[in-house]
Amino acid sequence: MSEAIRERLRQWHRGWLRRRIPPAQQIRLDHRRIFIIPSKAGAGFLLLLAIMLVGAINYQNSLVYGLTFTLLSLFWVALHHTYRNLAGVQLRATGGRPVFAGEQAPLGLVLSSSRREHQALRLSWPQAGLHTVDVPAGGEQALTLYYPTNHRGWLILERLRVETRFPLGWFQAWSLVDLDWQVLVYPRPVSRPLPRGSAPEGSEHDQDQALVEGVDDFQGLRAYQPGDSRRRLDWRAWSRGQGLHSKIFAEPQQQSLWLDLTSAVGRDLEERLGVMTGWVLALENARRAYGLSLPGQRIEPALGPAHREQCLRALALYGLEPQR
Amino acid sequence: MKDVLSAAQDAIGEVLLGKSQAIKLALACILAKGHLLIEDLPGMGKTTLSQALARVLGMSYQRIQFTSDLLPGDILGTSVFDRNTAQFVFHPGPIFAELVLADEINRATPKSQSALLEAMEEGQVTVDGATRPLPDPFFVIATQNPVSQSGTFALPESQLDRFLMRLSLGYPSEAAEKSLLQGDARRVRLDAIRTVLGREQLCALQALVPQVTASDALIDYILRLVNHTRNSDACAWGLSPRASLGLLAAARAWALLEQRNYVIPEDVQAVLPAVVSHRLRATHDPAGHGGDSLARWLLSEVSPV
Amino acid sequence: MTALIPRNSLAWLLIAQLVVLVPHLPRLPWWIAVLWLGCALWRVQIQRMRWGYPGRLLRVGGLLLIGLAVYVSQGTLIGLDATVMVLLLLFMLKLLEMRSPRDALVVIYLGFFIVATAFLFDQGIPLALYQGFCTLILVAALVGLQQSPARNDPAAALRRAGVMVMQALPLMLVLFLFFPRLAPLWSVNVPGSSARTGLSESMAPADIANLAQSPELAFRVEFDGQVPSASTLYWRAMTLSRFDGRTWSYDQRLEQRTAPPPDTAGAALVYQVVAEPSGRNWLYSLSGSVSSTPQVNRLADDTLRALRPLSGTFAYTATAHSDALLQPEGLSVSERRRELQLPPSGDPRARAWARQLRAEYGSDAQLIQAVLAHFSEQPFYYTLQPSPLGQHANDEFLFDSRRGFCEHYAGAMAFVLRAAGIPARIVTGYQGGELNPRGGYLLVHQFDAHAWVEAWLPGTGWTAFDPTFQVAPTRIERGLEEAMREEGSFLAEAPLSGARYRGVSWLNSLRLSWDDLNYQWQRRVLNFRSEEQLALFRHWLGTADWQRIGVIVLALVFTLMAVQAFFWLRPARRTGTPAQRAWQQLDRRLRPLGLGAQAGEGPRDWQQRIGCALPSQADLLAAFFDCFVAQQYAGGNADAALLRAHLKRLVRNLPRRRSAGLPVKRRLL
Repeated sequence: MSEAIRERLRQWHRGWLRRRIPPAQQIRLDHRRIFIIPSKAGAGFLLLLAIMLVGAINYQNSLVYGLTFTLLSLFWVALHHTYRNLAGVQLRATGGRPVFAGEQAPLGLVLSSSRREHQALRLSWPQAGLHTVDVPAGGEQALTLYYPTNHRGWLILERLRVETRFPLGWFQAWSLVDLDWQVLVYPRPVSRPLPRGSAPEGSEHDQDQALVEGVDDFQGLRAYQPGDSRRRLDWRAWSRGQGLHSKIFAEPQQQSLWLDLTSAVGRDLEERLGVMTGWVLALENARRAYGLSLPGQRIEPALGPAHREQCLRALALYGLEPQR
Repeated sequence: MKDVLSAAQDAIGEVLLGKSQAIKLALACILAKGHLLIEDLPGMGKTTLSQALARVLGMSYQRIQFTSDLLPGDILGTSVFDRNTAQFVFHPGPIFAELVLADEINRATPKSQSALLEAMEEGQVTVDGATRPLPDPFFVIATQNPVSQSGTFALPESQLDRFLMRLSLGYPSEAAEKSLLQGDARRVRLDAIRTVLGREQLCALQALVPQVTASDALIDYILRLVNHTRNSDACAWGLSPRASLGLLAAARAWALLEQRNYVIPEDVQAVLPAVVSHRLRATHDPAGHGGDSLARWLLSEVSPV
Repeated sequence: MTALIPRNSLAWLLIAQLVVLVPHLPRLPWWIAVLWLGCALWRVQIQRMRWGYPGRLLRVGGLLLIGLAVYVSQGTLIGLDATVMVLLLLFMLKLLEMRSPRDALVVIYLGFFIVATAFLFDQGIPLALYQGFCTLILVAALVGLQQSPARNDPAAALRRAGVMVMQALPLMLVLFLFFPRLAPLWSVNVPGSSARTGLSESMAPADIANLAQSPELAFRVEFDGQVPSASTLYWRAMTLSRFDGRTWSYDQRLEQRTAPPPDTAGAALVYQVVAEPSGRNWLYSLSGSVSSTPQVNRLADDTLRALRPLSGTFAYTATAHSDALLQPEGLSVSERRRELQLPPSGDPRARAWARQLRAEYGSDAQLIQAVLAHFSEQPFYYTLQPSPLGQHANDEFLFDSRRGFCEHYAGAMAFVLRAAGIPARIVTGYQGGELNPRGGYLLVHQFDAHAWVEAWLPGTGWTAFDPTFQVAPTRIERGLEEAMREEGSFLAEAPLSGARYRGVSWLNSLRLSWDDLNYQWQRRVLNFRSEEQLALFRHWLGTADWQRIGVIVLALVFTLMAVQAFFWLRPARRTGTPAQRAWQQLDRRLRPLGLGAQAGEGPRDWQQRIGCALPSQADLLAAFFDCFVAQQYAGGNADAALLRAHLKRLVRNLPRRRSAGLPVKRRLL
């Protein structure tokens, strides 16, 4: 019962925060986004002041009154200073690169200040460590935060808590921001032997397409173009007065491989996707072209970083929402 | 002096019906001393536009049809051995003209492409160790077929960055096409064009562009635009400083065409799609067709004030 | 919190401890300073990771040792002095136990508290300024604690602390003036009631002569109107009626009885006295005075008494009536017995002389005149260095040595009068005073201490007689310094005292200015109590009603807070250039009409769109936007006022509501 109520409250709080501080790539902290209350140290200080005030009354001592009131006014001044230390800070997410599940996702963050200096800002998530940074006046402070990942797909982040107690520690001013980091988490790679090669369909017809310029097999001649290597010039033809020609060589491309979800073995879907991920990485390492076949999705065989990214992305988002 | 600019626009408009915006952008591109890339299907009037421009501005004109077997020498010129003088004599290539139309640039091999683009960038040509300057108002209009067409070599991003603007003429409106069909042949109309602007006048106008006032507020706007592309995840990469320089120069030229001696945000907005669309790529768009929509998105994201 | 204390912060903490301890050191045993040095060194070594934290055994032992040390040095574990000492020791030893920032916080808070306790012992201007400095250092230590650990900039912490303390001052002043001064919630023991220089409750020969060597201030007094001449100012502190043959002493029973005010005849003289702390509760007043200050009693012997001993400076107002008679109605039997009391034996020659005088003169007044004449006619000598007297002190003084200070003359005279059957008593107090021309008030020092005689005469009641005047009229008219000029004994034991160099004019004016400052400090700050507060309210607010004052104060505080908040919490919207603000203002105004600036819209596009919707405002629109564009983009001078004027005119002419003709919002681009 109470657990249900608590969950309800938490949801309400989350919704309220979302309305009040909507997710954005760039957030400037202002009075709508900052909360401020006295800290424990502040409460203790008020207690001290109360004791001092009683002393001032009992001893009828004007100077103790004066000291008490100075400190009380200081408490009030500290409220503003703490608020101002957080207000005006601009937080900007500078993207994070994709990671494999289980790794710490690096999240780029730039804090900038328009006028004031902001000191001792603490950035934290409940799951991740605390960072303390200073932002110089009119300058920027870039840092990378790390967030643990467990599941593939778009990384779901808690709100980042930006807090400060500077300068006197009597107040804590904080904001909870969602900087809308788009971090894709690839499945956790599982190392398994490669599947038996299955030739891509229609490869018979496109035999010539699978040839790339190489050094092995003589392919023919073509008219010389400036810049062609001198060693490949067909000197014999030139001596016969047939003009300058370059020799063309080619090498057959290694057979490409289709990776199919059905051929990946694992306890559950996640493990099978992990196996596929492992294959993609292995093939990319071996410079061997591969294609990806998932239910409802096909990626033609190719090689290279862009292709790798496309395949990993497809694996990461398989069966999930394509956009956050 | 500025009246001649509107006269020039009108004169070209006579030939290329219903394309006043593209004409104005092309003129702005020339005034800002930038080069122009036109991406369109064949037969949309690319050649007409460049010829009309050359005539109106009184520039010498050369056309290079790019093909897959075009060699750099075909563009830059070659040294030929002259038996009489027993010396190599340089025969300048078609690039030694004030206005060069590089047609279907993406049909040529990258080697030939880069020969042209390097000449564009440096304003001079080096053949056989001798450096030869190109004429002073030097303006290249390159056209390319949409990349998806077969048998093309797409220009790499680094080369695209050298064009100040990329335009797309598009189909004419119905009314324009109707009058096109009813009127004289294009060839006849082209011949009818007179030179409106002399070479000296053009140079003077080009010298006027950097003097157009761009206030701090406006430069801040341009910076905000550029920074937005660098910081946003929607763009695969941000705009280069060359792009921001180009944006400012184009906006100044546009302001001049609007007969104003200061730049307002609307000038920037008018030229921005042409200037940045070929330099931007959406993050998840390997083909790179999304530049136009990205430019519009950019304008709506950044407040001009 | 498992964080460590940053180096920066520790440096500030150690400095803060040192400065907080310094004002207490003179009152404490010497080993306290050594102990602090030891603790500080240990803590520094801990920070340098050379030494470890003390173990549990050491800490418990240390606590026990503290208790023992305090008991040994103070003789008790309760009482204010002992408590403060315990606090100080804890404050120092906490250094060795300070692991986390939270411990450091405890040390700083203790520091604030110790700063406050120092005011219980001394409230002078120098100390107040010094404690202000201590507070600043403590705040700097707090800032240092919050700075990010990587930052190594101690001056920045001090700067920030300075700024904050300055900003706190206005509110502090308001609170100081308006916070109601309540009566003590429970009674507390007062520190420093132990020995202080001043009058005592008994007077033996040479007591006052010793006091006359002290340059310390006894009290200051300010008159409403003209300052009377010094020779008429006899400040009565107490009357001494008991005589044991050598010492005159105060009759404690007088304390129990308060007296009704005397009849109010003659001109009234109103004066305010600010008494220095004496640790005793007698006050100083002119003859026939009544006080309007609530904590002051008037006793039967016409002296004023404070309800509690003076631990700090104490201010009171009194009114003296010059012609008031004291007890003219007569003395009761017990009073008469008391005022005539003499030891059964001793001073036979003086008693014989008294009997001779009694036989010679019928009336008491004549007898007294004869005694005074004796002092002026015989070779009496007024000196601070009288010859020591033996068993029959009055006899030896009157007939042999004839060298004495005021207490000798007064004691001898009172003895003779009593022996002659006239009720007489000694009055001790001060006589005269030094005028501070800058402040228009009198300074009365300990060396102004004096003793004289009062005799009860039928018809006039108690009447004062000053035998010293007969011997050394300069003492009464010009003060002790003049009287002792020949002898050169004035303040011989206080060579550094400022009062000794009154001849050096610039030094003297400096001294008097400083004294004036102190006097104002005491009157306006230290003695700002309930009555002063109410008087201030009556003067400035025209009311002393707490309800109305409350309303006024609340209004004042809220105004102050609002002003501060306005400057500090200015919403982010207000940032930007005047042109940007004008743009946003117009945008807010037009949004309800569906004509607000759209995402990424430039000024001319916007103008055109509004113009299409509101053709009648085209001119005003053009005026505003032309001005806007000219200032923002065409390199024109930024004239915010002009832009605002255009905006104002435009906004005033815009329709309030969306009319049917207005277009609905349309996507740009």
